[in-house]
Amino acid sequence: MNILEVSGVTKHFGGLTAINDVDLHIAEGEILGLIGPNGAGKSTMFNCVAGVFPPSSGVIRFKGESIAGKKPWDLCRLGLARTFQIVKPFASRTVLYNVMVGAFLRTGSTRKAREKAEEVLVTLQLDHRKNQVSGNLTIADRKRLEIAKALATDPELLLLDEVMAGLRPTEVDEMIAIIKRLRDGGVTVFVIEHIMRAVMALSDRVAVIQFGQKIAEGKPEDVTRDEKVIKAYLGSDYGAA
Amino acid sequence: MSRKQLDLTLMGLAGLVSFGLPLVISSPTYLQILILLFFYAYLTTAWNLVGGFAGVLPMGHAVFVGIGAYTSTILTLQYGISPWIGMIVGGLLASGVGVLIGKPTLRMRGAYFALCTIAFAEGVRVMIENIDTLGPIKLNGPRGLLIPLKGDSFWNYQFMHKAPYYYIILVMLMLVLALTWIISKSKIGYYLAAGGDEPEAAEALGVNVAKYKLMSMALSCFLTALAGTFYAQLMLYFYPKGLLGLDLSFEIAFIALIGGRGMIAGPLVGALALRPLNEFTRIYLGDQLPGLHLVIFGLILILVMLFQPKGLTPSLARIYDRLANRITGAGKSGSGTIGSGETSFKTTSREGAK
Amino acid sequence: MTALIQAVLNGIMMGAMYGLTALGLTLIFGVMKVVNFAHGSLLMVGMFAAYWLIKLTGIHPYLALLIVPPFLFLFGYFLQDIVIKPVFKAEQQVREPLTVIIVTTGVWYVLDNLALMLFGAEYRTVHTAITGTSFSIGELIVSVPKFSGFVVSMGTAAALWLFMRKTRIGKALQATSLDREAANLMGINQYRIYNLAFGIGTAIAGVAGCVIMPFYSVYPSVGVVFDIRAFIIVVLGGLGSIQGAMLGGLVVGLIESVFPLFMTSTWTEAIIYAIFLVILFVKPSGFFGHKQDW
Repeated sequence: MNILEVSGVTKHFGGLTAINDVDLHIAEGEILGLIGPNGAGKSTMFNCVAGVFPPSSGVIRFKGESIAGKKPWDLCRLGLARTFQIVKPFASRTVLYNVMVGAFLRTGSTRKAREKAEEVLVTLQLDHRKNQVSGNLTIADRKRLEIAKALATDPELLLLDEVMAGLRPTEVDEMIAIIKRLRDGGVTVFVIEHIMRAVMALSDRVAVIQFGQKIAEGKPEDVTRDEKVIKAYLGSDYGAA
Repeated sequence: MSRKQLDLTLMGLAGLVSFGLPLVISSPTYLQILILLFFYAYLTTAWNLVGGFAGVLPMGHAVFVGIGAYTSTILTLQYGISPWIGMIVGGLLASGVGVLIGKPTLRMRGAYFALCTIAFAEGVRVMIENIDTLGPIKLNGPRGLLIPLKGDSFWNYQFMHKAPYYYIILVMLMLVLALTWIISKSKIGYYLAAGGDEPEAAEALGVNVAKYKLMSMALSCFLTALAGTFYAQLMLYFYPKGLLGLDLSFEIAFIALIGGRGMIAGPLVGALALRPLNEFTRIYLGDQLPGLHLVIFGLILILVMLFQPKGLTPSLARIYDRLANRITGAGKSGSGTIGSGETSFKTTSREGAK
Repeated sequence: MTALIQAVLNGIMMGAMYGLTALGLTLIFGVMKVVNFAHGSLLMVGMFAAYWLIKLTGIHPYLALLIVPPFLFLFGYFLQDIVIKPVFKAEQQVREPLTVIIVTTGVWYVLDNLALMLFGAEYRTVHTAITGTSFSIGELIVSVPKFSGFVVSMGTAAALWLFMRKTRIGKALQATSLDREAANLMGINQYRIYNLAFGIGTAIAGVAGCVIMPFYSVYPSVGVVFDIRAFIIVVLGGLGSIQGAMLGGLVVGLIESVFPLFMTSTWTEAIIYAIFLVILFVKPSGFFGHKQDW
């Protein structure tokens, strides 16, 4: 079964159509990459899927059930977690505290939440910073913290919104390794990314959005050779001859 | 000894001292001052559950004090029900009202929430001042309610000496502080903190922020109302302007803010520092210049907000930290209740409670 | 029937003045996105200024209009510059600038109690050249202070509206209220604009003070009554909207004037508060306000 199905989703904001009749699906255990020029509608898609606002039309199904009417916290409980493009740590609290907030979703006990949080921090190689105030972290660590928080909720589907932005090449490599490990651990991943190297390395399949519409979908190698995609990114002068 | 042992010892000492004071002090005047001190400390700590933990500014919280006082007193005066029971009823009523008001307002911007609480409090006060009887219930308008003397009687919640009142409010204060501490270390505390810091991020992690804010509101209003009954039974008289007015509401909020909202002992520290100050300036300056002590109070608030927006307690906690670490020879990340860094709801020792 | 028309007339006149009291508040919010909790106290300062001016010099209330508002403009300008600006700056990045709210509440507290301290709690009135005078239209009696208050209020609102639309500074104010970062980038000095907005808002409170004082008693906590009314009006009309403030004022004025014909004034008060709470729940942006992110 597809863990996520997006069927005919459209989203208007007043007079602006951010997403127009898009179909997507992700199978369990896959990594799907969503790419497209800036302003194409990628984050809007994430927000619809994560329950921040409902689509204007179309259906989104998570684990077979429609998410209509569900709020972000409901969806998180069902197993859908997300990160934010502009990271939102609880800045005045420690790293451990941040992740414990996520861990509390599955337990009422502070002790168990702390244990879970510490485990997650080890997975993301952040445990040496667990008592640091999160507002003081480097950007790379903050991005990892963002993932750690979401991971502590034991998600089945993880939405990663441009987690590579602002990272140095070595940090990107580390992040790619982390995400692959997550998938190997059983988490399906839906990624929005701009850094092509990461998209190619991570994704099983890639979907491309431009002006709110899906213009291509398929294996990374195929999509990047697609004429429409090249035009979208580089302009019509660069279309394949 | 370790940091933790030092902290606990100091807290234990403070507790012992506070319990022992009535044995040493017999003057009713001084006991009354202490009782009111603890009364304010209690109210501000209960306020903190919303103002500090939930991250909004309730500026009309005295209305719940009034609801507690009026409920228990009316039940006693007109139906002969023991004030203890009336106290619980008042608490539940206040809790319900708080949730009713909170539901639509807690999701609003801070300024709007503050505005709503002020408007609601003033609205209730004006209404009570203008109503003598509401059906069978005698509210007595602006004159307030008078509780007849019934002599020493636990059941009637009246005592001829000050000491019983002292112990009641002291126990209430300790319970509310303990409750605050427990909450801060529990799931609710973490969720409230997260919801206050970054609501969107918290929601994405499964936190129904609105629900938790309402929970803290319900609890805070319940506890606040209990103090209303206490006050009614202590003074045996109260009237709308005094108990429901903005003066009390603002004083509660200001004390908590100056002390440090969001910290468990912040309001307590604020009360310990400011109540005596208010009382003394009132007594010594109040004759020539009525209102001066309030002006000073307001100025202190403004100055503290300009220079230490988080309140005075964080700095005091740091000073205590350094002293305590020096005494115990502990390292920077002490295992004490302060400085563990895990939460920023720190406790300070109540060594100031004299 | 005449009673009703008389009530409506009074309601409209008072309503305009209520709207005036709300104008300053709505301006400050529109530009700074800050709810100035001290607004009622500033109104009180305006009323006391007018009171003392007239009491000590006996000048005509209309002339007081030339003196009190400029004085209050300076008062507001420097209050913002010295007390509020530092806090505002510190909270620029914070999602919820709660400390500013706390500080303005503190200012409210200090001003009210300072007045209590300096002037005592008694209600004061001063007999001005126009107090108690009236003229009649048929069977209707029109109180002169209220009528001139009405005229001044409408005039001030119109002047403010023109100022915002037609002058450079006015447009700068509007720009800042729409998007302060963009305005900043265009060379508009944000903090000077805030000082100006605060000054103008306070000056308008000064006009209101002059206009209300001839027929209303002055006492230290008079600000509270008008403050809450002003907030209700501003929310009704929509934060930041001049038309909204005047319209909201009219509504409140009419309710206050007409309803007591049919029920006790207690319930009138209650109804005004109830309407306020209902509007907050149902349409927080009021008649003319923009949808804010609550």
